[in-house]
Amino acid sequence: MANFDLLSSLAIVLLAAATHASFQLSVSMLTLLSGHALGKKTAHMQLMRLVGSFTAGAGVMIVLLLSTIALVLNVLLPVDTPPLMWAACSGAAVGVGVSVWAFYFRQEPGTSLWIPRSFARFLGDRAKTTQNPGEAFSLGLTSIISELLFTFAPLAIAALVLVQLTPTWQLIGILLYSGVALLPLLIVGLLIGGGHKLSRIQSWREKNKLFLQFAAGSALLVLGAYVYVERVFTVGVSAVGGQ
Amino acid sequence: MPAVKAIDVVKRSGHRPTEPFDRDKLTHSIRAACLSVRSPEGVAESTASNVVDAVVLWLDTKPAVTSHDLRRIASAHLHRYHPEAAYFYQQHRIII
Repeated sequence: MANFDLLSSLAIVLLAAATHASFQLSVSMLTLLSGHALGKKTAHMQLMRLVGSFTAGAGVMIVLLLSTIALVLNVLLPVDTPPLMWAACSGAAVGVGVSVWAFYFRQEPGTSLWIPRSFARFLGDRAKTTQNPGEAFSLGLTSIISELLFTFAPLAIAALVLVQLTPTWQLIGILLYSGVALLPLLIVGLLIGGGHKLSRIQSWREKNKLFLQFAAGSALLVLGAYVYVERVFTVGVSAVGGQ
Repeated sequence: MPAVKAIDVVKRSGHRPTEPFDRDKLTHSIRAACLSVRSPEGVAESTASNVVDAVVLWLDTKPAVTSHDLRRIASAHLHRYHPEAAYFYQQHRIII
């Protein structure tokens, strides 16, 4: 069995979580949800309940997705993850990274994302009609599923790493991944709770969207390359050297 | 407050049926944009009233308008009174 050290495994999980965190649909939906709530003169405590429930929903869905993918991989794969699987995941990360560079944000004003306009309108309408924490929680769940096309690569790589760790470190890895992936939502939630204006938050996002797009794509390319070199290339060279 | 003559608003993309211009609906959306950027209620009310009056004057020469044009003109007038609210009003449909 290839003996990858714990530090390197956690580094991959953290990098995968950081790329997950750079995707923007959840932050957009939280901004819209808060905007509608403030526009309806919602009390501050109720606003914070909505923000908290949305963030909790997103967190629960990240944990569920990561655990489910890890469980499926654990059942389907042999004890030693085949290099082909690592190569497929790193290839997916590179492919998604290039896609993020090419069309994650639409080439128009605002922070419009790649998702089809009819679906974006549906999500916007749902955010508008959300009035209680239960609805906000389910909206948080939905926001994570909606970006699965882009987040599947980092989730799969993190899951592949996690299944090779001991149960305690698997749990720590899942918590680390979820915590880092949720950071943007937590930061925006704190800003809203602290009384910052949504126009300033949205303005910052709009001004920096090209940088965010470049960073997300680049992080996926780096993740794919790192995983390929460490888990496929190095193992192959070691095997040849040992013969 | 200028009187509003009957004007049809053609909805975006033409899928939904045309509806008559509703002053209260526009007032509500402008007020909500102001409140979204944490303006005091009084400021939101007076801004919404001023913007809607200006839009109604613009509508006076039109038999029908598109909802997109209505939003564009409302946004331009809102920018004069409350630039931050105008920014958020414009961004509303392009956040996601």
